[in-house]
Amino acid sequence: MLEVRHLAIAYGGAPAVWDATLEVGEREVVSVIGPNGSGKSTLVNTIAGLLRAHSGELRFDGVDLGAVPSHLVCRQGIALVPEGRRLFMRMSVEENLEMGCYRGEARRARTTTLERVYRLFPILRERRRQLAGSLSGGQQQMVAIGRALMALPRLLLLDEPSLGLAPAVVDQMFEIIRAINGEGVAILLVEQNVVRALEIAARAYVLEEGRTVADGPPAILRQQSRIREAYLGLRDGGDVNP
Amino acid sequence: MSARRRVAAGLLAAGLALGGLATAGLPAFYESFLYIIFSWIALATSWSLLSGYAGYFSFGHGAFFGAGMYTTATLTTALGLPFLATLPVAGVVAAALGAGIGAVVFRVKRLRGELFGLLTLAVGFVLATIVLNTRIDGGPGVYLSAVPLPRLLSSPTGTLYLLGLALALATVAAAYVIAHSRLGLGLYAIHDDEDVAELEGVPTLSYKLIAFALSAGIAGVAGGIHAMYVSYVTVGETFSITVPLYVVLMSVLGGARHWLGPAVGATIIAASLYTFTGGQQAVLGRAAVAFVLILVILLLPEGVVPAALARWRRWRPHPLEIFTTAASTPAPAAPAVALTCENVWRAFGGIQALRGVSLSVEPGEIVGLVGPNGSGKTTLINVISGYYAADRGRVVLGAEVLTDRPAHEIAGLGVSRTHQIPRPFAHFTALDNVALAATFGATRLTPGQARAEARDWLEFTGLGRRAAALPHELNLHERKFLELARALAGRPRVILLDEVLSGLNPAEIAGAVRLIQEIRGRGVAVLFVEHLMRAVLELCDRVVVLNEGTVIATGSPHEAMRAERVVEVYLGKAHVVA
Amino acid sequence: MPSLTLLGQAVVSGLLAGGIYGLLALGLSLSWGLLRLVNLAHFALALLGAYLTYQLGTALHMAPGLAMLAIVPAFFVLGMGFHAVFTYFRVTEFTSLLVTFGVAVILESLIQWFWTADYRRYETAYATASIRVGPLFVPTLEMLACLTAAVLALATWAWLRFSYVGKALRASAEDPAIAAAFGVNHRRQAFLLSGVSAAYAGIAGTFIALISTLAPSQIWAWVGVVFAVVIIGGLANPIGALLAGLLIGVSESLTMAVVTPAWAPLVSFSVLILILIARPDRV
Repeated sequence: MLEVRHLAIAYGGAPAVWDATLEVGEREVVSVIGPNGSGKSTLVNTIAGLLRAHSGELRFDGVDLGAVPSHLVCRQGIALVPEGRRLFMRMSVEENLEMGCYRGEARRARTTTLERVYRLFPILRERRRQLAGSLSGGQQQMVAIGRALMALPRLLLLDEPSLGLAPAVVDQMFEIIRAINGEGVAILLVEQNVVRALEIAARAYVLEEGRTVADGPPAILRQQSRIREAYLGLRDGGDVNP
Repeated sequence: MSARRRVAAGLLAAGLALGGLATAGLPAFYESFLYIIFSWIALATSWSLLSGYAGYFSFGHGAFFGAGMYTTATLTTALGLPFLATLPVAGVVAAALGAGIGAVVFRVKRLRGELFGLLTLAVGFVLATIVLNTRIDGGPGVYLSAVPLPRLLSSPTGTLYLLGLALALATVAAAYVIAHSRLGLGLYAIHDDEDVAELEGVPTLSYKLIAFALSAGIAGVAGGIHAMYVSYVTVGETFSITVPLYVVLMSVLGGARHWLGPAVGATIIAASLYTFTGGQQAVLGRAAVAFVLILVILLLPEGVVPAALARWRRWRPHPLEIFTTAASTPAPAAPAVALTCENVWRAFGGIQALRGVSLSVEPGEIVGLVGPNGSGKTTLINVISGYYAADRGRVVLGAEVLTDRPAHEIAGLGVSRTHQIPRPFAHFTALDNVALAATFGATRLTPGQARAEARDWLEFTGLGRRAAALPHELNLHERKFLELARALAGRPRVILLDEVLSGLNPAEIAGAVRLIQEIRGRGVAVLFVEHLMRAVLELCDRVVVLNEGTVIATGSPHEAMRAERVVEVYLGKAHVVA
Repeated sequence: MPSLTLLGQAVVSGLLAGGIYGLLALGLSLSWGLLRLVNLAHFALALLGAYLTYQLGTALHMAPGLAMLAIVPAFFVLGMGFHAVFTYFRVTEFTSLLVTFGVAVILESLIQWFWTADYRRYETAYATASIRVGPLFVPTLEMLACLTAAVLALATWAWLRFSYVGKALRASAEDPAIAAAFGVNHRRQAFLLSGVSAAYAGIAGTFIALISTLAPSQIWAWVGVVFAVVIIGGLANPIGALLAGLLIGVSESLTMAVVTPAWAPLVSFSVLILILIARPDRV
């Protein structure tokens, strides 16, 4: 469904991507892991249309996303839960959710989807008139996910959904991600928390300094020292320069 | 002949020629026509000292002009002081007004750009209302026709002509001198990025106050002379929108950042307004001037003079300067000392970003500061460099306590830093970006020495051939290295590196790593914030790991990164045993 | 101390004058708050609207209501035209102030060229009509203007609050990239809003023609007061703009009644200065 081949993106001060390749199939959960600054967010933001790639291929259902204006990317069936949530803080919870179904099909389905989001996150129904800026971090994350679901995506891009949340809330968040996937939505998850990211995914990619350096099923990746090395800078032997 | 002498000679020649013209007996009509132009030159040029150089656009210049007019009007009529003696007083009154407004307004960080413009506009109206309703004017206006005018020349208009000429030349000369001084360099830096200017050691508050007082003072003197010229002073005319409107137009048209720009703009606009005098023509003339202003802002946003100079240079290119420096980069300016943070706390709103962080960096040591996103690394750098104040705890450099000092003093003591996203001064060449740091850093060089030293640092960072480039012409890797060169140019004792490697490709990273090793070799203490662990392990003598604002591990890189808590924070629980 | 009736009358006329301030502030507040454009030409447009109403009324005997029907769509298109220039040249928040300053001067000059600097007064049969409420007189036209301001403020508030376009405008003002990621085409909506804002200037102009004496330099008299109103009311807050307009109007007219008319400008400018210094984060 999503195909990324040899993508390169370099902007201002954001971590650059030099050569990223990955694939997400229908209904699949795929994780991208890698240390901070390895370009994970740059990659998903480019898929969502916020940034443009310099070279490489980016296709969704065969459509070249590089040629789609950024405000039309969501129409293809891609929705983003950005890093740091980026809610519209001066708008109410419900208004934030409604921004998710701004376009076309999704707007016609507003009432049913809204009901679905509120069933998923009952607390948001209670808080729907409150300003998004007044919610706790976990609730804000729910709004961000809810907003993306309102767009009726077939592919959900999740960028660091556990960042800054208490462990119990993180558990809950991953339950919900699993439930969303259970409804048939494919998920591309970018996560710092390797354990969680590998638990939930069918396949994972390791991004290091802007390059995909490894991929495969979690069971295999877990065995490799590569991840540990990338995150902690340690080789198993302990020396730095081989 | 040096540029400075050429300008001095040019101004002197203009003064002699125009002064001689008057003694030779210029018809009164021309005297008053030229006087008007001189007056506008002084006003527009003085406006640009704050608004053009430092970018604080004021729409209140009429207030200072008016303050000068009413000072002279009141002193000559009510107290009977001689006209010439009132001019310095007019200048001082207006300067005090400017400095007073600045002392309040410059303390509010967000009052820049359009908000500062609106505020100064409002100040003008408030002053007008006060003058109108108090004994300063009281409504009917003040007549100066009975005030004697000293005869410097045969005619009274000749005297005003000479006064106007002298003020205009003095103002333009002052604009030139300031533009090429430490003050000017600091003001230009404030224009481009005030926060960074302060962090590089520019005493931003006092520079802005000096510029505001000077700018207002000159406008006050111009007002004093003008009171005599019009000989009947009314609130309606004095405080109308005309003065603030035209000084902005003239400066922007000519080029507000160039010392000569406002004078050129003033001459063009004042002369063209004078040719459309009388009734309907004047109205259309004003519309034409406004139309030209719009075109210039949209098409030549830097102004006519800089645009013309740029064209001239392209037409007759400068010979390329060849650098033959051996890159003999000097050691820190002052004896090496250690940096210590003791129990530093800092909160934003309800979020505790730092919860009692303690660490130290010895001279010649690289200490890595690592931790997940949001753990407080950049906040700590901001606290050390004085951008944020600490809520509790202290930061000490050798014997000096840094906490609660303004950022520019901290830079002056030898602490310099880089920014995660490079923040060069947009209108400065690469060379001048570095020279600014050398001027205001721990070394305190003159601008001339600083440029020579800046060359060395550009060579050191491999940017020697890009010295004349503007930041937007540099690529990311070059901008990152420019940050480094700028941080080094102050010859710091401590250097704080905030993710200098992010966004670089492997070859560039290898280059940067070598540079940082050389910096350490000079006895500088380096605090190194970085996500790229390979580089952290290669470079750092010690590592401090932050998580949620607390130090969770310190020690040699291998020890610290193997600590159970650290592995857990980075990878999640399961990996501890794996 | 003036009598209670006098004070009451001052409050009434302050409220009515405040309605006009609110009306003028509305469009300005929208384009500044949602598009980050500071539009000084807004005042000039309003005055142009007033002169057009005057001209259509005196030369062609067109009723003010009809004139408004002609002016509003014309100004809507004009506002979109201005915005096209702004987007083409990528005008920033700060340069917008300079450019619209220039536009205001041009419009002022054109008005002066066409209608001269003499005062103009649009005489209508109903200009002096008023309603008597107890001891107080309420001029009908000014009340109508004030009511229009209130209706427009409410309608604009509802539009921003309840329509998808309104929500998208607010979302884009906060985070244009994320709004675009959910399908908002900010460019198109910016044109719409610029048109609406200019149309509001036209509506205000029609009332100004009926209520006050016209002179080209009137543009600058509004600047301080209306900017104070915009900032006090909160950017992109229609109801806030209206209430702030009423507040400033009343405080001005009370100053006139209790102290002396000449001190009145001090009120709004001082409030503006104080707010800028104490709460610059409101803007």
